[in-house]
Amino acid sequence: MSDKFEKNLRDHLHHEAEEIREFPRQLRGRIREGITPRARPRMAPQLALAGALVLVAFAVLVARNPQVIIKDVPSAIKQILQPSPTPTPQPFTCADRSGGTSGLAAQLTAIRTAHHAETPGFDRIVFDFSDGIPSYDLTRQVTSAFVKDASGQPVTLDGSAGIKLVFRNASVQGVADDQKPRLTAVREIAQLGNFEGVLSYGVGLSSSQCVRVLELTGPSRLVVDVTTSASASTSPAPTPLPTTPSATDLTPFACQDLAGGSSNGPAMRLTQVRVAHQAAGYDRIVFEFAAPAGVTPYLPTYTVSRQASAKFVKDPSGQDVTLRGSSGLRIALHGASGADSYTGSRDITPGLPVLQELEQLGDFEAVLSWGAGLGRPSCIRTLELSNPTRLVVDIQTP
Amino acid sequence: MLMDPALGRVIERCRDGDRDAFEEVVDRYGLQLLRTARLILRDQALAEDAIQETFVKAWQRIGSLREEDPGPWLTRIAMNESISSYRRRHRFQALTERFGRLGGGKHEVSSEARLDLAHALDQLHPDQRAAVALHYYQDLSVEETARALKVPVDTMKSRLKTALRRLRQLTGSEEITP
Repeated sequence: MSDKFEKNLRDHLHHEAEEIREFPRQLRGRIREGITPRARPRMAPQLALAGALVLVAFAVLVARNPQVIIKDVPSAIKQILQPSPTPTPQPFTCADRSGGTSGLAAQLTAIRTAHHAETPGFDRIVFDFSDGIPSYDLTRQVTSAFVKDASGQPVTLDGSAGIKLVFRNASVQGVADDQKPRLTAVREIAQLGNFEGVLSYGVGLSSSQCVRVLELTGPSRLVVDVTTSASASTSPAPTPLPTTPSATDLTPFACQDLAGGSSNGPAMRLTQVRVAHQAAGYDRIVFEFAAPAGVTPYLPTYTVSRQASAKFVKDPSGQDVTLRGSSGLRIALHGASGADSYTGSRDITPGLPVLQELEQLGDFEAVLSWGAGLGRPSCIRTLELSNPTRLVVDIQTP
Repeated sequence: MLMDPALGRVIERCRDGDRDAFEEVVDRYGLQLLRTARLILRDQALAEDAIQETFVKAWQRIGSLREEDPGPWLTRIAMNESISSYRRRHRFQALTERFGRLGGGKHEVSSEARLDLAHALDQLHPDQRAAVALHYYQDLSVEETARALKVPVDTMKSRLKTALRRLRQLTGSEEITP
């Protein structure tokens, strides 16, 4: 039973819930902290005891053989203080990287750049840290356009491709927000954000290039080498940069109506409708179907039509219905019905970044139609999946 | 509900101890869970605490998540945390309410004291608010809501009906007689 009061209640709950516009960054930080193992304080007395034993042993050694002070200690100290040698060069790879130490807080003290002409030629960016290398993600991208953290402002750096570096639990001091080394590959390095312990930088590259990342100690530094020639990036063979937001083999988004499926056969039975936002940059609707007994499963013929408003006409009543949002998608399946098989909600208001509402518009004479209210006009793609039979409609989000 | 393959890979990485992968899970489900917890707890700070605890527990128990969508699983943990949090922090209030009921019988709401929906929701028991939030905000079916709150379906039907009746009474809305 659904009446006006229930509709008001539903609207009220959504309105109240949406007062929280985004997931708080500090809460994300608290969760991260909560899942990061901490050093056990119980170890402190054990470490103190171990230290004391070492000192006693050292004193005994010195008393028996004073030469050890003159000969061995300086060389040992020198060895400890010497910066770690650059490890054997690793191959350049055309992939994103993550690393650093989770939960470690560190301060970025300098960003240095230089061109190295030896074969293979590369440009080097060095991020110097005071206390170890914090957790980081390096992401390659096919443009030099970035979005600034917190403000959401777009910023385009010099070049035609880019790298984004995000450091967690990191602060920065005495480092210029924007550097333009204008090297062969590395053209510009700009800070994109410094908020709640998340420090991010964009690197503008002259073209899409492969990289290698080195984590060095004494002092702590993260080294990002960017190849300056195509031949340098062939070990191992470079993989193309992704052109779609997901790691899976997905078709690109298209700003047009889409159609597909196959006709013939008794009506497929709608069993589930699911919606979710995917962090890769899209809202996803999944229609899942089951075949009637004795029928080979197939995806019914479908059309996904984009429209400039969230107003739809219900089938077959002809009644107008206006969904949440300012634009819409009409998804029609010919040869499908959920009348006897679908028990879920027929009016879903998930409040996703773009998908605001999804409502069944009609289920009549084996024509099943749903309307999607969108917060903004968006490009779409469809996927046809089997086992179980599913139609997936992805809506690109900003 | 089965996991989609991309999400399955993220969960696999979480099982291997990849905290960055777990942040993808937080990004995906965090906002809706926080909003739901806020609806139940009526307090932003308490809701954030409950959701922090939810994700920390989820991380610790990620190995127990099988080939199912993590959404309902996380919702179950979040609901448990929210209601427990409410009970912990409102024991004294609950006691005074109980004494109030024993002494004065059922409250009658005069027409002058009709409340708007926000205030009416404040008056519900947290179990009822959880049911209302899941059913009317998250659009879960009665069966899904019952599963999330670990009660029989009939109990959930009754709980929703009681909550709705109470909200109507508090807001002075006319109840539709079947």
